[in-house]
Amino acid sequence: MQTFLTNRKAVAGLVILAIFIVMSALAPILAPHDPYRRAGKPHVQPGFEHVLGTTRQGKDVFSQLLEGGRTSLTVGFIAGISATLIGLGVGISAGYFGGKIDEVLTFFVNVVLVLPAMPLIIVLASFVEEASPTIIGLVLAVTGWGWTARTIRTQTMAIKSREFVLAAELMGERKWRIILREILPNMSSFVVGGFVLATIYGILAEAALEFIGLGSPSSVTWGTMLYWAQRAQALQVGAWWEIWPPAVAIMLTGAALVLINFGVDEITSPQLRAARIGGRIKRFLKRRGRSVDVF
Amino acid sequence: MIFLLRRLGFYFAAFMVAITLNFLLPRLMPGDPTTRIFASLRGKLRPEQLDVLREAYGLDGSLLDQYLNYLWALLHLDFGISTVHYPEPTADLLFYAAGWTLFLVGVAIALSFAIGILMGIYSAWHRGGFFDSVFTPINVMMNAFTPAVVALLLWYAFTMQWTIFPLGRAHDINLTPGWNLASAGNIAWHAVLPVLSIVLVNFGSWHLGMRNTMINLLNEDFVVLARAKGLSDRRIRNRYVARNAILPQITSLALSVGYVFGGAFIAEVVFNYPGLGKFTLNAIESRDYTFIQAQLTLLTCSVLVANLISDVCNVVLDPRLRRAGGH
Repeated sequence: MQTFLTNRKAVAGLVILAIFIVMSALAPILAPHDPYRRAGKPHVQPGFEHVLGTTRQGKDVFSQLLEGGRTSLTVGFIAGISATLIGLGVGISAGYFGGKIDEVLTFFVNVVLVLPAMPLIIVLASFVEEASPTIIGLVLAVTGWGWTARTIRTQTMAIKSREFVLAAELMGERKWRIILREILPNMSSFVVGGFVLATIYGILAEAALEFIGLGSPSSVTWGTMLYWAQRAQALQVGAWWEIWPPAVAIMLTGAALVLINFGVDEITSPQLRAARIGGRIKRFLKRRGRSVDVF
Repeated sequence: MIFLLRRLGFYFAAFMVAITLNFLLPRLMPGDPTTRIFASLRGKLRPEQLDVLREAYGLDGSLLDQYLNYLWALLHLDFGISTVHYPEPTADLLFYAAGWTLFLVGVAIALSFAIGILMGIYSAWHRGGFFDSVFTPINVMMNAFTPAVVALLLWYAFTMQWTIFPLGRAHDINLTPGWNLASAGNIAWHAVLPVLSIVLVNFGSWHLGMRNTMINLLNEDFVVLARAKGLSDRRIRNRYVARNAILPQITSLALSVGYVFGGAFIAEVVFNYPGLGKFTLNAIESRDYTFIQAQLTLLTCSVLVANLISDVCNVVLDPRLRRAGGH
């Protein structure tokens, strides 16, 4: 945790993410207007009355942005958490128990990895006409747990052969206890990494699904905001404020999560971190008229 | 060889799971094609006629019967008749759309792969240098950029603001595509923006993947040995490091090539491109079972074949797999 907090990229990502989470959590208090109702004339420019202007239907963009963040982040986290839990369960069981269990589980992991996700999601999402954001999140989780499961399985197999697990086994500890107390804590960075990636995937895929009109158009999310902006031909009529806020919000959230993932990566594989320090040493030596090619 | 045979077995099993899903998924959706047609004709159809329609579309009988019929037809590469574009055979529609998608996404993936890999090699080799420290963060941002926004902005900037490129479609309406220069130019001109919209959001992940794999390899013993032997930098970079770092990238390339047939939904919707993505969305809206099934089958086959090709590539490029014969 401490190394995590000294990593600049990770901290920057965490700060951006925290701002978004707090803003959307406080949406009902912060939002100046009802995001679902007409609050002014259509396509009012950003100004005193409407901080980020209004949509074609006269809804307040800023209020929608806050409310949309609530749903979009929730969907992203639902997708991230569920995919991580499924992947973790399958990965640990396959890696720890091995044998037949491993074979069967690995088969399913490979099928999930090989099956094309996006069209499957689209068909799944259109199961329910006008799928709610929660359902979209769960659908995304069902198709998105493969990579986590694979990484966790490999990692479990590596940890399983270490002395402390063997010691616990010889002491006659119960299997689930070994999994929870000995193996799980040693995989936290992989779990966090998998969770972060699954969440990015969730947020981006949700926006894409809503954008092509497969979500529920009556809900307010960053994806539906883009959908309506395109439907209202916002760019053609010069209403850039209808497109940019959700776009920038999605981008910043995505970038924040990518930064966190970078931090996690640098902690798990120190070579990537050495890159930065290596660059510094190189520059330092260069200034003294020496060039090195060690790093 | 044993390795490949095992993989073949897996691919067959995965194929069976997939085509079963392809059969079940559309049928689990609310509403079927005939009720859609029934509703759209507003009472001009008598209920008895609905049964005839069901029979014509092969939607009568139990689910198991339908499934067996479906498998049998699939074995003969018979994709049935589109329920929406009646009486057009689904295969014709599918291949028309697939052709455009193959062209659009194929070009886009090839470009993003080539650009990304070259950038990755350069920025890993000159780590911490100007190029690396400028482009790595930019790519992080591009990675997180929504394809929808990129496509919309390109579309707005280059067709509305500066009317450089056409508004959409794969070619001019009055043009009949053929194998001649004028036709090719027209098609290429229409493809510039959609291709660009896909390349812009994709090349970053190739860059990052290649860069990180290369950085990890640079510290390996064999690279140190190569340096000690006094080999030229160029040789170490291209033959030792890049060659090894490209293996995992080829695996992901194979996967994305498989996804070509998934269609580029967003680019196709924004640029009104007649590819698989657009056709699939229409098919889903109108519950055109046969098209959805055929599209998912095509997609599954292409993903599986692409995976198989990547396995073969890996065996060819990585001698360890050839010798071990296992995973």
